[in-house]
Amino acid sequence: MQLLQCNNLSKTYPNGTQALHDVNFTVEEGEFLVIIGLSGSGKSTLLRCINQLHPVSSGELYFEQQQLTAMAGKDLRRQRSRIGMIFQQFNLIPRKTVLTNVLAGALAVTPVWKSLLGLYSEAQKQQALDYLKIVGLEHKAYVRADNLSGGQQQRVAIARALMQNPKILLADEPVASLDPSTSHSVMKYLQKINQELGVTVICNLHFLSLVRTYASRVIALKGGRIVYQGAPGDIDEQWFKTIYGEDAVEVSIN
Amino acid sequence: MEKLMTEQPFEQARVHGYKASIKAWFIDVILWSYTALIGYKLGYQTWYLQSRHPDFYWHEPLYALGIGVVLASVLSYSTCSVGKAISGLILFPEDRSIFRSASVRLAVFFIALTFIAGLHVSQVSMREFFSDSGLAGAQRIFSALLTPNFAIFEDALFAAIETVYMAFIATSLAIPVAFVLAFFAARNLMKQSALSFAIYCVIRFMMNLTRSIEPLVWAIIFSVWVGIGPFSGMLALFLHSVASLTKLYSEQIESISDGPVEAMTATGAHPIQVIWYGVVPQIVLPYLSYTIYRWDINVRMATVIGLVGGGGIGTLLMQYQGLARWNEVGMLVIVIAAIVWLMDYASAKIRAHLK
Repeated sequence: MQLLQCNNLSKTYPNGTQALHDVNFTVEEGEFLVIIGLSGSGKSTLLRCINQLHPVSSGELYFEQQQLTAMAGKDLRRQRSRIGMIFQQFNLIPRKTVLTNVLAGALAVTPVWKSLLGLYSEAQKQQALDYLKIVGLEHKAYVRADNLSGGQQQRVAIARALMQNPKILLADEPVASLDPSTSHSVMKYLQKINQELGVTVICNLHFLSLVRTYASRVIALKGGRIVYQGAPGDIDEQWFKTIYGEDAVEVSIN
Repeated sequence: MEKLMTEQPFEQARVHGYKASIKAWFIDVILWSYTALIGYKLGYQTWYLQSRHPDFYWHEPLYALGIGVVLASVLSYSTCSVGKAISGLILFPEDRSIFRSASVRLAVFFIALTFIAGLHVSQVSMREFFSDSGLAGAQRIFSALLTPNFAIFEDALFAAIETVYMAFIATSLAIPVAFVLAFFAARNLMKQSALSFAIYCVIRFMMNLTRSIEPLVWAIIFSVWVGIGPFSGMLALFLHSVASLTKLYSEQIESISDGPVEAMTATGAHPIQVIWYGVVPQIVLPYLSYTIYRWDINVRMATVIGLVGGGGIGTLLMQYQGLARWNEVGMLVIVIAAIVWLMDYASAKIRAHLK
């Protein structure tokens, strides 16, 4: 089933930089879609346009057949809550426990006054603990989030995204700040969520070796345009040079 | 997104050209007019003609301005121009000391000129400092101050306690007001729409205005409003604390990392929830630190405010000083010094632990 559809998406920042040019693609339910491209090719912008953290300049964006670009306020927040997101810098709440961080994923379905007082239901707390178990951090629930290692913080961020009960998980270079072995561990959790919980994943990545291991489909961006769409195995030397430039040399991560 | 900005820098038009030249010319005109005026009033009238209180006529600065325009225009063709140096129109060679360039030497000259004029205007006089009557007066007051009158120790102590409480109430009442205002005075939260940006500008302006009026002046205003006493002093400190804390708090909000804010927004949280979970945890400790520091400052200010009728130990000080009873003043000075030192020490200790 088609989950997301982007028609002629363009994005120009207020300073005049055009980050996306006429981007068209669709995402099917259950896919593990990876977006590749050089820094500054528009990958991050594209992900942030999908959940409207950055409003698009023109074009249409359908999520479960609903136009996201036309939404604002409460409607937009409700749709956003169905789209989880994790970040390169993890973006956890500092000085708060891991459990509080995971529970923050339920903010959209918690009344404002309750969330200000930190009043979450027992069911929500249990659910948060369950998601922590999925990412293997149930024993860290009451530890301050900023005391965890990078890989652990990213797993907390995944649990927080799961707490939203999302249809899609957006991952913006989730392993770019991590060392190689931790990178694989985090990618494996994303794979597990994709395969076992059926959450569609759209992920920005830098390393082609990770792309070949985890992606079910690849989109390559260059200068804000889509230059390649297809299976990860089909990216040969020629395509690689098209995407990353003539001088690029492939490095791998194991 | 941040990456995108830095790696594809948007071509910034360098406004070198006529705009910078005009700016440089204006700076030069002001500097040369200033030099001409000082040279005439100080060099010619005061020192050459030896007139102690030369009259002032409004045509003098106008003539000076004329001279400034002529000199600045002539020198704008050379590198001997401070305005050009400030506007970035002069390239300083890296292999040479900057003090060998004419514009820097000129700047040093302007600073020296201002220093000399300042000495004259402040009536700095070594003769009076070391005169016989002056030294006798100094001896009189220091000997009195150093033999404080311990009979008023109780009064001084109670007045000091009043001062500390006054400062505490002023600070604690200011916290919630400044806490709320700070969010509206933080650029990064308010630049979203034209309306919110307008609110930001209004609040920033009001706070800057309040802050630019000294608490001493506020105390005078409030002492007329609510009468002389600790209440008027408290109100003055409160108002000034609100303005200062709003500025400090909002600057703290502006320097937070955007990450958690973005993450909270992405979960579909309400804007209030975004602030509570994305912003507040990042600012709580610096806020506490600032607030304690503010209390410390308020205690110090409260003593000064007392001088104009704001209550507390300052009012007591003013009364004894008016009666020229220096032994009592000496006692009060000791109590004030002790309180200020104690607050300073305690607030530094507490703030060190908050890091």
